Amino acid sequence: MPENAAAIPPVEETALPPSAETPDGYQVRLDVFEGPLDLLLFLIRKKKIDIHDIPIAAITRDYLGYLERKTEINLDREAEFLFIAALLIYIKSQMLLPRETDLAEGEDPRRVLVDRLVEYERIKAACSLLREREDVQILQWKRDFIPPLHGESELEPVELSLFDLAESFFLLMKRRAAENTRTIRGRDVSVEVKMKELVGLLQERHMIDFLEYFEAHASLEEALIAFFCILELVKSRVAVAVQDELFRTIRVWLRKDARRTAAHD
Amino acid sequence: MTDLKTLVEALIFVSQEPVTMERLQAVLEGVPAADIQSAVDGLVADTGAAGRGIHVIRVGGGWLFATKPDHDREVRKLLQIERKNRLSSAGLETLAAIAYRQPVTQSEVSAIRGVDSTGALKTLLEKKLIKIVGRKKAPGNPLVYRTSDEFLLYLGLNSLDELPSEEEIAKILEEEKAVDA
Repeated sequence: MPENAAAIPPVEETALPPSAETPDGYQVRLDVFEGPLDLLLFLIRKKKIDIHDIPIAAITRDYLGYLERKTEINLDREAEFLFIAALLIYIKSQMLLPRETDLAEGEDPRRVLVDRLVEYERIKAACSLLREREDVQILQWKRDFIPPLHGESELEPVELSLFDLAESFFLLMKRRAAENTRTIRGRDVSVEVKMKELVGLLQERHMIDFLEYFEAHASLEEALIAFFCILELVKSRVAVAVQDELFRTIRVWLRKDARRTAAHD
Repeated sequence: MTDLKTLVEALIFVSQEPVTMERLQAVLEGVPAADIQSAVDGLVADTGAAGRGIHVIRVGGGWLFATKPDHDREVRKLLQIERKNRLSSAGLETLAAIAYRQPVTQSEVSAIRGVDSTGALKTLLEKKLIKIVGRKKAPGNPLVYRTSDEFLLYLGLNSLDELPSEEEIAKILEEEKAVDA
Protein backbone atom coordinates (compact mmCIF):
# COMPACT_ATOMS: atom_id res chain seq x y z
CA MET A 1 0.00 0.00 0.00
CA PRO A 2 1.45 3.34 -0.93
CA GLU A 3 2.37 5.26 2.11
CA ASN A 4 4.66 7.89 0.82
CA ALA A 5 3.53 11.43 1.07
CA ALA A 6 3.78 12.00 -2.65
CA ALA A 7 0.70 9.84 -3.22
CA ILE A 8 -1.62 12.78 -2.73
CA PRO A 9 -1.41 15.79 -5.00
CA PRO A 10 -0.97 19.14 -3.34
CA VAL A 11 -4.18 20.80 -2.25
CA GLU A 12 -2.89 24.27 -2.82
CA GLU A 13 0.05 24.88 -5.07
CA THR A 14 1.14 27.91 -3.11
CA ALA A 15 0.99 26.42 0.35
CA LEU A 16 4.35 24.74 0.52
CA PRO A 17 5.17 25.11 4.19
CA PRO A 18 2.38 23.81 6.40
CA SER A 19 2.05 27.15 8.09
CA ALA A 20 1.39 29.46 5.16
CA GLU A 21 -1.57 31.50 6.33
CA THR A 22 -4.32 33.05 4.29
CA PRO A 23 -7.32 35.18 5.31
CA ASP A 24 -9.57 32.16 5.75
CA GLY A 25 -7.14 30.27 7.91
CA TYR A 26 -4.17 28.11 7.06
CA GLN A 27 -3.59 26.44 3.81
CA VAL A 28 -2.09 23.05 4.21
CA ARG A 29 -0.98 20.37 1.88
CA LEU A 30 -2.20 17.11 3.26
CA ASP A 31 0.79 15.34 1.87
CA VAL A 32 3.15 17.05 4.26
CA PHE A 33 1.48 15.12 7.05
CA GLU A 34 2.38 11.60 7.95
CA GLY A 35 -1.27 10.87 8.64
CA PRO A 36 -4.46 12.07 10.27
CA LEU A 37 -2.96 12.23 13.76
CA ASP A 38 -0.16 14.40 12.44
CA LEU A 39 -2.74 16.76 10.89
CA LEU A 40 -4.76 16.87 14.11
CA LEU A 41 -1.69 17.64 16.18
CA PHE A 42 -0.80 20.42 13.80
CA LEU A 43 -4.27 21.97 14.12
CA ILE A 44 -4.21 21.68 17.90
CA ARG A 45 -0.85 23.37 18.12
CA LYS A 46 -1.76 26.05 15.66
CA LYS A 47 -4.76 27.00 17.77
CA LYS A 48 -2.72 26.70 20.95
CA ILE A 49 -5.22 24.29 22.35
CA ASP A 50 -4.54 22.17 25.41
CA ILE A 51 -4.39 18.63 24.15
CA HIS A 52 -6.32 17.43 27.21
CA ASP A 53 -9.17 19.85 26.60
CA ILE A 54 -9.85 19.84 22.89
CA PRO A 55 -12.86 21.80 21.63
CA ILE A 56 -14.06 18.96 19.44
CA ALA A 57 -16.52 20.94 17.31
CA ALA A 58 -13.97 23.57 16.31
CA ILE A 59 -11.23 21.05 15.61
CA THR A 60 -13.57 18.84 13.63
CA ARG A 61 -14.58 21.81 11.50
CA ASP A 62 -10.94 22.66 10.77
CA TYR A 63 -10.08 19.08 10.16
CA LEU A 64 -12.89 18.50 7.68
CA GLY A 65 -11.94 21.77 6.02
CA TYR A 66 -8.62 20.30 5.02
CA LEU A 67 -10.14 17.11 3.74
CA GLU A 68 -12.62 19.02 1.58
CA ARG A 69 -9.94 20.98 -0.19
CA LYS A 70 -8.58 17.92 -1.81
CA THR A 71 -9.25 17.61 -5.48
CA GLU A 72 -8.35 14.01 -6.00
CA ILE A 73 -8.99 10.98 -3.94
CA ASN A 74 -6.48 8.43 -2.82
CA LEU A 75 -8.54 5.77 -1.16
CA ASP A 76 -5.76 4.27 0.92
CA ARG A 77 -4.90 7.48 2.62
CA GLU A 78 -8.38 8.91 2.46
CA ALA A 79 -9.77 6.12 4.59
CA GLU A 80 -7.30 6.84 7.34
CA PHE A 81 -8.15 10.53 7.37
CA LEU A 82 -11.87 9.82 7.24
CA PHE A 83 -11.62 7.33 10.08
CA ILE A 84 -10.33 10.01 12.40
CA ALA A 85 -13.00 12.41 11.10
CA ALA A 86 -15.63 9.85 12.02
CA LEU A 87 -14.03 9.42 15.42
CA LEU A 88 -14.16 13.18 16.00
CA ILE A 89 -17.84 13.31 15.10
CA TYR A 90 -18.58 10.31 17.26
CA ILE A 91 -16.86 11.93 20.21
CA LYS A 92 -18.84 15.12 19.68
CA SER A 93 -22.09 13.17 19.60
CA GLN A 94 -21.12 11.41 22.82
CA MET A 95 -20.50 14.75 24.45
CA LEU A 96 -23.85 16.10 23.34
CA LEU A 97 -25.83 13.19 24.69
CA PRO A 98 -27.74 14.09 27.81
CA ARG A 99 -26.78 11.88 30.71
CA GLU A 100 -28.48 11.10 33.95
CA THR A 101 -25.33 11.32 35.96
CA ASP A 102 -22.27 13.37 35.24
CA LEU A 103 -19.32 11.54 33.81
CA ALA A 104 -16.68 10.55 36.32
CA GLU A 105 -13.12 11.93 36.08
CA GLY A 106 -11.34 9.96 33.33
CA GLU A 107 -14.57 9.13 31.55
CA ASP A 108 -14.34 11.98 29.07
CA PRO A 109 -15.43 10.73 25.63
CA ARG A 110 -12.39 12.54 24.24
CA ARG A 111 -10.15 10.24 26.20
CA VAL A 112 -9.64 7.67 23.40
CA LEU A 113 -8.47 10.33 21.03
CA VAL A 114 -6.37 12.22 23.56
CA ASP A 115 -4.52 9.07 24.57
CA ARG A 116 -3.68 8.37 20.96
CA LEU A 117 -2.61 11.93 20.28
CA VAL A 118 -0.41 12.05 23.35
CA GLU A 119 1.28 8.82 22.40
CA TYR A 120 1.71 9.90 18.80
CA GLU A 121 3.09 13.26 19.89
CA ARG A 122 5.72 11.49 21.98
CA ILE A 123 6.70 9.20 19.14
CA LYS A 124 7.06 12.25 16.88
CA ALA A 125 9.26 13.97 19.44
CA ALA A 126 11.36 10.83 19.81
CA CYS A 127 11.70 10.79 16.02
CA SER A 128 13.34 14.18 15.98
CA LEU A 129 15.88 12.96 18.54
CA LEU A 130 16.47 9.74 16.65
CA ARG A 131 16.91 11.68 13.43
CA GLU A 132 19.71 13.66 15.08
CA ARG A 133 21.40 10.41 16.02
CA GLU A 134 20.91 9.06 12.52
CA ASP A 135 22.48 12.15 11.01
CA VAL A 136 25.58 11.70 13.16
CA GLN A 137 25.87 7.95 12.60
CA ILE A 138 25.22 7.97 8.90
CA LEU A 139 28.46 9.86 8.34
CA GLN A 140 30.52 7.24 10.12
CA TRP A 141 30.98 4.22 7.94
CA LYS A 142 31.31 0.97 9.75
CA ARG A 143 32.61 -2.08 8.01
CA ASP A 144 29.40 -3.89 8.72
CA PHE A 145 27.44 -1.44 6.61
CA ILE A 146 29.82 -1.14 3.72
CA PRO A 147 28.19 -2.79 0.74
CA PRO A 148 30.30 -5.13 -1.35
CA LEU A 149 31.82 -3.26 -4.27
CA HIS A 150 30.34 -5.68 -6.74
CA GLY A 151 26.76 -5.56 -5.52
CA GLU A 152 24.67 -8.69 -5.14
CA SER A 153 26.64 -11.56 -3.69
CA GLU A 154 25.19 -13.77 -1.00
CA LEU A 155 26.95 -16.54 -2.85
CA GLU A 156 30.69 -16.48 -2.94
CA PRO A 157 31.43 -15.75 -6.59
CA VAL A 158 34.49 -17.19 -8.22
CA GLU A 159 36.34 -15.10 -10.74
CA LEU A 160 37.05 -17.21 -13.76
CA SER A 161 40.19 -17.59 -15.75
CA LEU A 162 40.25 -17.35 -19.51
CA PHE A 163 40.54 -21.12 -19.65
CA ASP A 164 37.30 -21.60 -17.81
CA LEU A 165 35.62 -19.29 -20.26
CA ALA A 166 37.14 -21.04 -23.22
CA GLU A 167 36.07 -24.42 -21.90
CA SER A 168 32.49 -23.28 -21.54
CA PHE A 169 32.61 -21.85 -24.98
CA PHE A 170 33.86 -25.00 -26.67
CA LEU A 171 31.28 -27.02 -24.83
CA LEU A 172 28.66 -24.72 -26.18
CA MET A 173 30.00 -24.89 -29.68
CA LYS A 174 30.03 -28.65 -29.56
CA ARG A 175 26.42 -28.64 -28.49
CA ARG A 176 25.60 -26.25 -31.25
CA ALA A 177 27.45 -28.26 -33.89
CA ALA A 178 25.57 -31.37 -32.90
CA GLU A 179 22.17 -29.86 -33.40
CA ASN A 180 22.91 -27.64 -36.35
CA THR A 181 23.92 -29.27 -39.57
CA ARG A 182 22.76 -26.60 -41.98
CA THR A 183 25.25 -24.19 -43.40
CA ILE A 184 24.36 -20.63 -42.66
CA ARG A 185 26.03 -17.76 -44.33
CA GLY A 186 26.98 -15.42 -41.59
CA ARG A 187 26.85 -11.69 -41.67
CA ASP A 188 30.19 -10.02 -41.90
CA VAL A 189 30.94 -8.88 -38.42
CA SER A 190 34.10 -7.17 -37.37
CA VAL A 191 35.61 -7.49 -33.92
CA GLU A 192 35.47 -3.75 -33.65
CA VAL A 193 31.73 -3.54 -34.27
CA LYS A 194 31.03 -6.47 -32.03
CA MET A 195 33.13 -4.98 -29.25
CA LYS A 196 31.13 -1.77 -29.35
CA GLU A 197 27.88 -3.69 -29.33
CA LEU A 198 29.00 -5.79 -26.39
CA VAL A 199 30.22 -2.88 -24.30
CA GLY A 200 26.99 -1.07 -25.03
CA LEU A 201 25.01 -4.09 -23.91
CA LEU A 202 27.06 -4.43 -20.74
CA GLN A 203 26.55 -0.81 -19.91
CA GLU A 204 22.86 -1.01 -20.55
CA ARG A 205 22.20 -4.24 -18.69
CA HIS A 206 25.13 -4.10 -16.27
CA MET A 207 25.41 -7.83 -16.53
CA ILE A 208 24.94 -10.48 -19.16
CA ASP A 209 24.54 -14.19 -18.93
CA PHE A 210 27.44 -15.76 -20.83
CA LEU A 211 25.56 -18.74 -22.23
CA GLU A 212 22.41 -16.84 -23.00
CA TYR A 213 24.41 -14.29 -24.88
CA PHE A 214 26.03 -16.84 -27.16
CA GLU A 215 22.89 -18.82 -27.72
CA ALA A 216 21.35 -15.66 -29.09
CA HIS A 217 23.82 -15.51 -31.95
CA ALA A 218 22.66 -16.82 -35.27
CA SER A 219 25.97 -17.88 -36.70
CA LEU A 220 28.99 -19.63 -35.35
CA GLU A 221 31.19 -16.95 -36.78
CA GLU A 222 29.42 -14.17 -34.98
CA ALA A 223 29.38 -16.07 -31.72
CA LEU A 224 33.09 -16.71 -32.11
CA ILE A 225 33.78 -13.03 -32.61
CA ALA A 226 31.68 -12.17 -29.59
CA PHE A 227 33.65 -14.67 -27.59
CA PHE A 228 36.93 -13.09 -28.63
CA CYS A 229 35.55 -9.74 -27.58
CA ILE A 230 34.72 -11.03 -24.13
CA LEU A 231 38.14 -12.62 -23.77
CA GLU A 232 39.69 -9.34 -24.76
CA LEU A 233 37.57 -7.39 -22.27
CA VAL A 234 38.42 -9.77 -19.45
CA LYS A 235 42.09 -9.78 -20.35
CA SER A 236 42.29 -6.01 -20.41
CA ARG A 237 40.43 -6.02 -17.08
CA VAL A 238 37.53 -4.02 -18.43
CA ALA A 239 35.05 -6.79 -17.69
CA VAL A 240 34.80 -9.52 -15.08
CA ALA A 241 33.48 -13.01 -15.64
CA VAL A 242 32.03 -14.60 -12.56
CA GLN A 243 30.48 -17.92 -11.71
CA ASP A 244 28.48 -18.13 -8.49
CA GLU A 245 29.35 -21.75 -8.01
CA LEU A 246 30.49 -24.66 -10.06
CA PHE A 247 28.18 -25.58 -12.95
CA ARG A 248 26.15 -22.43 -12.53
CA THR A 249 25.84 -19.91 -15.29
CA ILE A 250 28.68 -17.53 -15.97
CA ARG A 251 27.92 -13.86 -15.75
CA VAL A 252 29.91 -11.05 -17.27
CA TRP A 253 29.91 -7.44 -16.18
CA LEU A 254 32.03 -4.36 -16.58
CA ARG A 255 34.39 -3.51 -13.80
CA LYS A 256 33.06 -0.44 -12.05
CA ASP A 257 36.20 1.59 -12.60
CA ALA A 258 36.09 0.64 -16.26
CA ARG A 259 32.52 1.67 -16.80
CA ARG A 260 33.30 5.30 -17.35
CA THR A 261 36.36 4.79 -19.51
CA ALA A 262 34.67 2.13 -21.58
CA ALA A 263 31.95 4.60 -22.39
CA HIS A 264 34.47 6.83 -24.09
CA ASP A 265 36.12 4.12 -26.16
CA MET B 1 54.56 -9.20 26.44
CA THR B 2 52.50 -7.75 23.67
CA ASP B 3 51.09 -4.30 24.18
CA LEU B 4 47.51 -4.85 25.28
CA LYS B 5 46.31 -1.76 23.48
CA THR B 6 47.59 -2.82 20.06
CA LEU B 7 46.23 -6.30 20.66
CA VAL B 8 42.77 -4.96 21.40
CA GLU B 9 43.03 -2.72 18.35
CA ALA B 10 43.73 -5.73 16.15
CA LEU B 11 40.77 -7.63 17.59
CA ILE B 12 38.39 -4.74 17.03
CA PHE B 13 39.75 -4.17 13.56
CA VAL B 14 39.00 -7.65 12.25
CA SER B 15 35.50 -7.75 13.66
CA GLN B 16 32.53 -6.69 11.60
CA GLU B 17 30.27 -6.47 14.60
CA PRO B 18 30.87 -4.66 17.86
CA VAL B 19 33.39 -6.49 20.03
CA THR B 20 32.01 -6.70 23.53
CA MET B 21 33.93 -6.74 26.76
CA GLU B 22 32.92 -10.38 27.21
CA ARG B 23 34.40 -11.31 23.84
CA LEU B 24 37.64 -9.50 24.64
CA GLN B 25 37.88 -11.23 27.98
CA ALA B 26 37.25 -14.61 26.39
CA VAL B 27 40.07 -14.05 23.90
CA LEU B 28 42.48 -12.42 26.32
CA GLU B 29 42.31 -15.17 28.89
CA GLY B 30 43.55 -14.21 32.30
CA VAL B 31 43.90 -10.51 31.59
CA PRO B 32 41.98 -8.54 34.23
CA ALA B 33 38.90 -6.74 32.96
CA ALA B 34 40.17 -3.46 34.33
CA ASP B 35 43.33 -3.72 32.21
CA ILE B 36 41.32 -4.49 29.08
CA GLN B 37 39.03 -1.60 29.85
CA SER B 38 41.88 0.85 30.20
CA ALA B 39 43.47 -0.49 26.98
CA VAL B 40 40.18 0.09 25.14
CA ASP B 41 39.78 3.53 26.70
CA GLY B 42 43.30 4.39 25.58
CA LEU B 43 42.53 3.14 22.08
CA VAL B 44 39.31 5.17 21.88
CA ALA B 45 41.22 8.26 22.98
CA ASP B 46 44.14 7.62 20.60
CA THR B 47 42.03 7.03 17.52
CA GLY B 48 39.66 9.83 18.44
CA ALA B 49 42.49 12.34 18.34
CA ALA B 50 43.25 14.29 15.19
CA GLY B 51 45.46 12.70 12.58
CA ARG B 52 43.43 9.53 12.12
CA GLY B 53 40.76 8.78 9.50
CA ILE B 54 39.13 6.06 11.51
CA HIS B 55 38.29 5.82 15.17
CA VAL B 56 37.07 3.23 17.62
CA ILE B 57 33.55 4.00 18.78
CA ARG B 58 31.39 2.47 21.44
CA VAL B 59 28.21 1.17 19.86
CA GLY B 60 25.88 -1.81 20.01
CA GLY B 61 27.27 -2.77 23.41
CA GLY B 62 30.82 -3.09 22.15
CA TRP B 63 33.55 -1.38 20.16
CA LEU B 64 33.89 -0.99 16.46
CA PHE B 65 36.02 0.86 13.96
CA ALA B 66 34.27 3.55 11.97
CA THR B 67 35.38 6.25 9.60
CA LYS B 68 35.34 9.77 10.93
CA PRO B 69 32.37 11.90 9.90
CA ASP B 70 34.55 14.39 8.00
CA HIS B 71 35.37 11.82 5.38
CA ASP B 72 31.82 10.87 4.54
CA ARG B 73 31.76 12.48 1.12
CA GLU B 74 34.85 10.75 -0.20
CA VAL B 75 33.95 7.42 1.36
CA ARG B 76 30.62 7.50 -0.41
CA LYS B 77 32.37 8.39 -3.63
CA LEU B 78 34.61 5.35 -3.30
CA LEU B 79 31.65 3.11 -2.56
CA GLN B 80 29.67 4.76 -5.33
CA ILE B 81 26.84 5.71 -3.03
CA GLU B 82 25.51 8.97 -4.31
CA ARG B 83 23.34 10.16 -1.50
CA LYS B 84 22.92 9.51 2.14
CA ASN B 85 20.25 6.95 2.68
CA ARG B 86 18.36 8.48 5.53
CA LEU B 87 15.16 6.80 6.52
CA SER B 88 11.97 8.40 5.23
CA SER B 89 9.89 10.13 7.87
CA ALA B 90 7.34 7.34 7.60
CA GLY B 91 10.14 4.82 8.10
CA LEU B 92 11.61 6.62 11.09
CA GLU B 93 8.20 7.09 12.70
CA THR B 94 7.44 3.40 12.29
CA LEU B 95 10.85 2.49 13.66
CA ALA B 96 10.35 4.75 16.69
CA ALA B 97 6.92 3.25 17.36
CA ILE B 98 8.43 -0.23 17.30
CA ALA B 99 11.46 0.76 19.38
CA TYR B 100 9.32 2.17 22.17
CA ARG B 101 6.47 -0.30 22.09
CA GLN B 102 8.18 -3.56 21.26
CA PRO B 103 7.24 -6.30 20.92
CA VAL B 104 4.49 -5.05 18.61
CA THR B 105 2.35 -6.21 15.72
CA GLN B 106 1.73 -4.42 12.45
CA SER B 107 -1.76 -3.34 13.52
CA GLU B 108 -0.47 -1.95 16.80
CA VAL B 109 2.11 0.13 14.97
CA SER B 110 -0.51 1.29 12.49
CA ALA B 111 -2.80 2.28 15.36
CA ILE B 112 -0.09 4.37 17.01
CA ARG B 113 0.63 6.19 13.76
CA GLY B 114 -2.97 6.35 12.54
CA VAL B 115 -1.64 5.16 9.20
CA ASP B 116 -1.29 1.74 7.62
CA SER B 117 2.32 0.76 8.22
CA THR B 118 2.62 -2.46 6.25
CA GLY B 119 4.89 -0.93 3.63
CA ALA B 120 7.11 0.84 6.14
CA LEU B 121 7.51 -2.38 8.12
CA LYS B 122 8.55 -4.23 5.02
CA THR B 123 11.20 -1.65 4.22
CA LEU B 124 12.54 -1.75 7.78
CA LEU B 125 12.69 -5.55 7.61
CA GLU B 126 14.63 -5.34 4.35
CA LYS B 127 17.02 -2.90 5.97
CA LYS B 128 17.31 -5.40 8.85
CA LEU B 129 16.53 -2.65 11.35
CA ILE B 130 13.68 -4.74 12.75
CA LYS B 131 13.11 -8.46 13.00
CA ILE B 132 10.21 -10.84 13.38
CA VAL B 133 10.35 -12.54 16.75
CA GLY B 134 7.26 -14.68 16.57
CA ARG B 135 3.50 -14.58 16.45
CA LYS B 136 1.09 -13.13 18.91
CA LYS B 137 -1.46 -15.43 20.48
CA ALA B 138 -4.35 -13.34 19.26
CA PRO B 139 -6.92 -13.64 16.47
CA GLY B 140 -5.09 -14.11 13.18
CA ASN B 141 -1.81 -14.85 14.99
CA PRO B 142 -0.17 -11.65 13.75
CA LEU B 143 3.60 -11.42 13.44
CA VAL B 144 5.43 -9.73 16.27
CA TYR B 145 8.27 -7.31 15.57
CA ARG B 146 11.26 -6.07 17.52
CA THR B 147 14.20 -3.85 16.72
CA SER B 148 17.40 -5.68 15.74
CA ASP B 149 21.04 -5.36 16.73
CA GLU B 150 21.55 -3.50 13.46
CA PHE B 151 19.07 -0.94 14.75
CA LEU B 152 21.36 -0.16 17.68
CA LEU B 153 24.33 0.12 15.35
CA TYR B 154 22.39 2.27 12.93
CA LEU B 155 21.58 4.86 15.55
CA GLY B 156 24.81 4.50 17.51
CA LEU B 157 23.09 3.08 20.59
CA ASN B 158 24.55 0.54 22.97
CA SER B 159 21.25 -0.79 24.20
CA LEU B 160 17.57 0.05 24.10
CA ASP B 161 18.04 1.83 27.42
CA GLU B 162 19.83 4.53 25.48
CA LEU B 163 16.75 5.44 23.47
CA PRO B 164 15.68 9.03 24.19
CA SER B 165 14.11 9.01 27.65
CA GLU B 166 10.71 10.29 28.76
CA GLU B 167 12.43 13.38 30.12
CA GLU B 168 14.25 14.10 26.87
CA ILE B 169 11.03 13.67 24.93
CA ALA B 170 9.14 15.92 27.34
CA LYS B 171 11.85 18.52 26.92
CA ILE B 172 11.54 18.43 23.14
CA LEU B 173 7.77 18.81 23.40
CA GLU B 174 8.13 21.81 25.68
CA GLU B 175 10.60 23.41 23.32
CA GLU B 176 8.27 22.84 20.38
CA LYS B 177 5.39 24.40 22.30
CA ALA B 178 7.56 27.34 23.25
CA VAL B 179 8.34 27.90 19.56
CA ASP B 180 4.65 27.73 18.65
CA ALA B 181 3.60 30.12 21.39
